[in-house]
Amino acid sequence: MINILIIEDDENIAKMITAALSMVDYKGTCRYDGRSGAEEAMKGGYDLILLDIMLPEMNGFEVMEAIKGCGTPVIFLTAMQEVSDKVKGLRLGAEDYIVKPFEALELLARIDVVLRRSNKTQDTITYGDISVNIDRHEITLKGQHVQLTPKEFDVIVYFLQHQNIAVSREQLLSSVWGFEFGGESRTVDIHVQQVRRKLGLKDCLITIPKLGYRLESRDSL
Amino acid sequence: MKLWQKIFLSSLFLIIAAVNIISVTILNNSHRLLLEREQTHAISEHEFFEASFSNAVVYAKLADEKIALTPNDIRRIASDVVEGSGRTRDSAVFDSEGTLIAVNGMDDVLSRITQSGFIEKIDSSGDNYSASVYETGGAHKLAVGSAITTEGMSYRVVTAVDISEIYAMKKKQTDFVRKVSVISAGAISLVLLVTVLLMLNPLSRLNVYTKAIAGGNYRIRIRERGSLEFRELAQNMNIMAEAVQTNAARLEKIAEDRQTFIANLSHEMKTPLTSILGFADILRIKRQVSDSERAEYAGVIVEETKRLRSLSGKLMGIVAMNGTEMEKKPVSLQAMINETKTALVPLLAKNDVQLECLSQDITISADEELFKSLLYNIIENAVKASPKGESVVLNAAMYQGDAVITITDHGIGMTPEVMKKAFEPFFMADKSRSRKAGGAGLGLALCQKIASLHSAKIEIDSHPNEGTTVFITIPREECL
Repeated sequence: MINILIIEDDENIAKMITAALSMVDYKGTCRYDGRSGAEEAMKGGYDLILLDIMLPEMNGFEVMEAIKGCGTPVIFLTAMQEVSDKVKGLRLGAEDYIVKPFEALELLARIDVVLRRSNKTQDTITYGDISVNIDRHEITLKGQHVQLTPKEFDVIVYFLQHQNIAVSREQLLSSVWGFEFGGESRTVDIHVQQVRRKLGLKDCLITIPKLGYRLESRDSL
Repeated sequence: MKLWQKIFLSSLFLIIAAVNIISVTILNNSHRLLLEREQTHAISEHEFFEASFSNAVVYAKLADEKIALTPNDIRRIASDVVEGSGRTRDSAVFDSEGTLIAVNGMDDVLSRITQSGFIEKIDSSGDNYSASVYETGGAHKLAVGSAITTEGMSYRVVTAVDISEIYAMKKKQTDFVRKVSVISAGAISLVLLVTVLLMLNPLSRLNVYTKAIAGGNYRIRIRERGSLEFRELAQNMNIMAEAVQTNAARLEKIAEDRQTFIANLSHEMKTPLTSILGFADILRIKRQVSDSERAEYAGVIVEETKRLRSLSGKLMGIVAMNGTEMEKKPVSLQAMINETKTALVPLLAKNDVQLECLSQDITISADEELFKSLLYNIIENAVKASPKGESVVLNAAMYQGDAVITITDHGIGMTPEVMKKAFEPFFMADKSRSRKAGGAGLGLALCQKIASLHSAKIEIDSHPNEGTTVFITIPREECL
């Protein structure tokens, strides 16, 4: 299980992040000031640290300096929006930078990117009869290879990584096609239909009116 | 044209003109004097010639023993006299008709004399002498003429003296003056140029400084030296630079404060927004939300929304105060304290704190609503800082002519560092605690604003774990 350390002085925000992480079965541990956060991080055992900048005792940048040695990837969370702050955070070795306020899904997506970069996510995801090897770009259904286009592959991987979460067409567009892609949500619909048909996911990959799609997890069926 | 060029050229022109006019006048004057002297000399020579002519006539009469001489005799005598005067003197004699009867020397001057009508102008009475200068072939001659009456006939006698020397001298002197004036003009212009540039040098120095100041370097000051005007100018420019520097610093401070205020405001708004957005998003996208989860998530959303509401309320208070006119009127301090106390009842009950008020009957000039909110905020802080069962004491009394309100609690108190920052917008001594209590960190900033609108002063005396006393001093001008 992925274990994430949250260093954030606002208890409600920490609570919210923990709740968001629990949606994808990540475990969140909270610390409410810089010093205890840094101490906790040095104990190790975390896959990722979410670090606020304006913290009591020690600010986020100081915490970052202190925990440089432990090698755990860090994502900064902050209300500050100045470019110089971003540059400072990234220069100190942060993996990413999320500006408050943020949506839960955006946070999860950024976390996934960082975890994948540090090889913390599984290479192979199984979902019922479906088995996906992300590194080898292979997908099997009941042991049989299924031919998917690269975009269809990315779409199913995204759903598998966000099971039980309602995913909007816009989120899919930006994650799979990239932010600069000016395509329409119709493109998303066609790809989702293809994935559904090829993998027999008619009942699991459901359409939520006005919102988007959701892949129901196997165990809840 | 630049100032130094103007000053230099106009001064140079004036000096050269003055020198030239003076030297020409002096030259002309001395020439005139010389000419007059020559004339006097020539006239005395002429008289001598006249006398010798008259004598010759008398001698001729005596020698020839004639009673009267014929014009021919006169002509002869004239020729002798003219001849006898020799080379030294040019002379000529004309008869009454203007016919030349004897001449010596004269050369080409003679024709000029006859042409110019000089002979006719000679006064026939013989008392006066006519004198005139003629120039021929580069030589100047002074002709003197007079009339002589002898043997019943009138004769005109003309003598001429060479005065070329005077004119040559004048020419020489003029040339000399011209040379000297050219050389001296050169020298003067050099000296003048240096002087003008030296005198105007402070101006270019001032210019450099002014440019630097205009360029944003408000810290530099001009050395105040040079002539009086420049010293004064430099002094005034320094005063100006000082004012600019002060104002620029003040504006910078204001801009900085505003920047900090906005940064803090944005942070204070984003923090609750993050929780609200996050939990709302989770409620929206999560498939199964248990009842307890929903209650928790929605609870946080409500709590954070209230925080935003409180923040915007306080913020509006501050903004509104900047714009609106105050309604100051005489109000009883005691009445305001009582009303505030009534408004505080729920809070006092919730925190289990007593509020004791001791007030003299003081009337002040104030905006009632604003002043009550000032009291409310400060008492609220005192109540929140107090432990359960404690009491907050409010005392209003006249002290040395000013009205002083003290609000004392026996609560957690503040460290000196916290006290220093207490009035800064968005400063919270204990963030998580005041946030839970719905604080936005704007209360004291608001109080400070209200106090300054009433020319009142707020001071804090506090010791950690002992308690805090807030002094509100209303100056005597506001007391009635």
